[in-house]
Amino acid sequence: MDFISILRFYFFYPSFFDIIIFPGLILFAVILLTAIWFERKAAARVQMRVGPYYASKRSGGFLQLVADALKFVFSEMIIPDQVNPTLFVLAPALLLMISILPFAVVPVSIIPKSGSIFSPYFHDFYDPNIGMGVLSGFFTQYNLVLVLALEAIYPIFIIFMGWVTNNRFAILGSVRETMLSVSYDVLIFMATVSLALEFHTLDIAQIVQRGIPGILANPFAALVFFIGMLIGSSRFPFDIVEAETELVVGPATEYSGFLFVITMAPAYIGNFIYSFIFVDLFLGGWLPFTGLPGAAYTALKAVIVLFFSVFMRSVYGRYRLDQALRGSWKYLFPLSLFALIFGMVVGFLWIA
Amino acid sequence: MTQRAIDLIVTELQKMKVSAKAESDTRGYVEVPKDRIVEVAKKLKELGFDHVKAVTGIDFPEQEKIQLIYHVSSYSENLYNIIFEIKSFTSYKDCVMPSLITVWESSWTGERETHEMLGVYFEGHPDMRRLFLPEDFDGVYPLRKEFKIKLEGLFVDKSE
Amino acid sequence: MDVEVVPVTGELNVGPQHPGSGHMRILVKLSGDIVDDVELDVGYVHRAVEKLGENRNYMHLIPLVERPAILDSVHMNMGYVMAVEKIINVDVPERALYLRSFAAEVNRIASHFYGIGILGIFLGHSTSFMWGFGDREIWVHILEALTGARVTNSYVIPGGVRRDISPSIIEMTKKAISYTRRKLNDWKKIFFNNPTIRARLENVGVMTKDQAIAWGAVGPNLRASGVYFDVRKAEPYAAYSKLDFDIPVYKEGDGYARSMVRLEEIEQSMRILEQIIKDIPQGPILSERFLKQIPPTRMKKWVEGQGRIVLPGYYASFRPPKGEATSRVEAGRGELMYYVMSDGSAKPYRLRMITPSYRLIYVFKNLCKGVRYADVVSIYGSLDYFPPEADR
Repeated sequence: MDFISILRFYFFYPSFFDIIIFPGLILFAVILLTAIWFERKAAARVQMRVGPYYASKRSGGFLQLVADALKFVFSEMIIPDQVNPTLFVLAPALLLMISILPFAVVPVSIIPKSGSIFSPYFHDFYDPNIGMGVLSGFFTQYNLVLVLALEAIYPIFIIFMGWVTNNRFAILGSVRETMLSVSYDVLIFMATVSLALEFHTLDIAQIVQRGIPGILANPFAALVFFIGMLIGSSRFPFDIVEAETELVVGPATEYSGFLFVITMAPAYIGNFIYSFIFVDLFLGGWLPFTGLPGAAYTALKAVIVLFFSVFMRSVYGRYRLDQALRGSWKYLFPLSLFALIFGMVVGFLWIA
Repeated sequence: MTQRAIDLIVTELQKMKVSAKAESDTRGYVEVPKDRIVEVAKKLKELGFDHVKAVTGIDFPEQEKIQLIYHVSSYSENLYNIIFEIKSFTSYKDCVMPSLITVWESSWTGERETHEMLGVYFEGHPDMRRLFLPEDFDGVYPLRKEFKIKLEGLFVDKSE
Repeated sequence: MDVEVVPVTGELNVGPQHPGSGHMRILVKLSGDIVDDVELDVGYVHRAVEKLGENRNYMHLIPLVERPAILDSVHMNMGYVMAVEKIINVDVPERALYLRSFAAEVNRIASHFYGIGILGIFLGHSTSFMWGFGDREIWVHILEALTGARVTNSYVIPGGVRRDISPSIIEMTKKAISYTRRKLNDWKKIFFNNPTIRARLENVGVMTKDQAIAWGAVGPNLRASGVYFDVRKAEPYAAYSKLDFDIPVYKEGDGYARSMVRLEEIEQSMRILEQIIKDIPQGPILSERFLKQIPPTRMKKWVEGQGRIVLPGYYASFRPPKGEATSRVEAGRGELMYYVMSDGSAKPYRLRMITPSYRLIYVFKNLCKGVRYADVVSIYGSLDYFPPEADR
């Protein structure tokens, strides 16, 4: 084997390619900017404005976000007097790291035995349930459970960040996150479990490969999951943790400069990863494509879901904490129980 | 000619032996010494005046007195076009007034402001602290006439 | 099982540097998520209008008194001028009265859009914020065409108004009315019937009728609590005695009723504007007494040629007779009262300015007791409390 093919082998090795190149970190960075740009541009459209415009008029002000990011990078990072500086700087970095972690186990496509650019890795990522390779950073047959477990760590680091900054608004925001995380985690968990029961598996790839989009098989679970996703990534109308007029920016109140950018990113990344899971579970994932086109198709759908959830900003206001909690426990939790039973029945009768 | 609503109020008040007068169809005033102000206020409340619009203090430095005017009115439809004034005086030496907050809750803001601006202490007001002025404000009460503000003069440069 | 509940109390210092505080500081005493008490530290935008009023000529005060509430300046201006007119005993010609009502109603619509916009952003609803300011702009343009300034118009002067209305302004107003009528339907869809907004406003900050009267609430907030009171009906000024309009009254007394009152007042204001456009009589726009002081050349060029008043010499530093006057108008946020006391000199001896927001301080403080922390901003927005107006 010559050097080029060795390089090629390692470059396309799914654990690297999927996580770093596509649809991993690099796509995430681009999508992050695009999502914020879309959020501002779509809101501007609704609100009789133009939105970002002057930085690169030809692309509709797309570079505005780059300019903003540059400005943030070069502005001063203020570390308050009464905090532990190490933890203060570490907290947003940890948060960002944890937010991207679940992506390692989300399957984005499958690897056919031959014909695809990923085919050399067929055996390394072989999934016995579907008889195909799975394109994901790390393959396990129980990736549905693992992805939920990794997502569940995320709120702890938001709380950690609020605690570290030693600010009352931050602590209030953390307390709100604590209360909300309990409720939305339950919703997401119930929705995925009802899918798992329906499809008799804990493997996301197998759910996709059945060929039945979850939104048809179990629309209730899809609704519950989507709302859980909105709460989990604090999108409107559940922008309760960062409620601007009440809590400034919630746990991120004291952060400035580049650290502020890092605190803002995880919510979007979390939302994007949830969108991937949503696409895989409910919108048919990569089917009918395989390999790299499959990954691109999944990513495209995930971007649409992400855009839809950021668009909520221009339609809705913000619920109060107790209203969100009451809504999720009193109405959505029973609905998720119903989705569970519905999933069991449908899974028994239809998807045996 | 039917009797105006304000005349009824004035005659009611004159029964209490205070000098009340109607200025027009919709304006009237009553002058009371400060020790009887609560009594008159209660009477006016009985007559249907349910809120205080303003508590105004006016400084008269020559007489070393401060005049207090309560503008009282009502939200009920037969009285809502009338503004009735309760006028009273307090001297610099004994700058204390009985608070009317027991009669009309809505005098809360006005009495607090009059306290900080003119130095009248309202006895019985639950929260007799500064309202608008900064906490470290020092010196003469701002709305007394002896508090002079510096006015910008007109400066014309004639050297050129 | 016994659960030990640890009481969590603390103070939260909201403002003056806070996106939800405005120009003031709200000291919130929290017990968990419930507000025990709030203390409003007002006065960050205190401009000492009352003290400056004792050091300025009567005419020089006109621009000053409208500074506290620049978005509602026609009313601020008109109330003061009405008090001065009472002292100097001037009659205002009919056309000027209609023009005053016209400017006031245009300003009321602008002010209400501003209020609803601010309420929207307090509830995190950015669309209503932008729409509120965007739709307000149309009415501000009319004011600009009429008076020459977007805000702080100084339009009303003793004895009349400063500028006459022109056919192009009437055309603008007609367009604005039809646009706003159409737009209000969209408003109802996206804001007033939005489930999140309804959830945040309904049964929040409920003020009963008795409480509203006892606390001395004013304006739309009073009417949302079931009290039929509007200065335009109680003590008609300008041309309101000749105009036909309704006063929207709601019984609920919650934040939603307060914003609905504002919405309906916009509709009523547009009704009034249509009547004014139809009925406005011909005639001078300044009292005859002042008009004849204008030199004939300037009279011809400005007043007859362009419909603009050049201020006659009398205004420079007139000395009104001794006396006192109380005037009140229904400003955008409620009843505005002026008490002017003249001692015969060129400056008022005492100027008392009671703005609607000033009287809302006590209402706001009381309404916040016992609500959830997130409701403080909801009450703030629904009261349409405007700190500069309260501080004066």
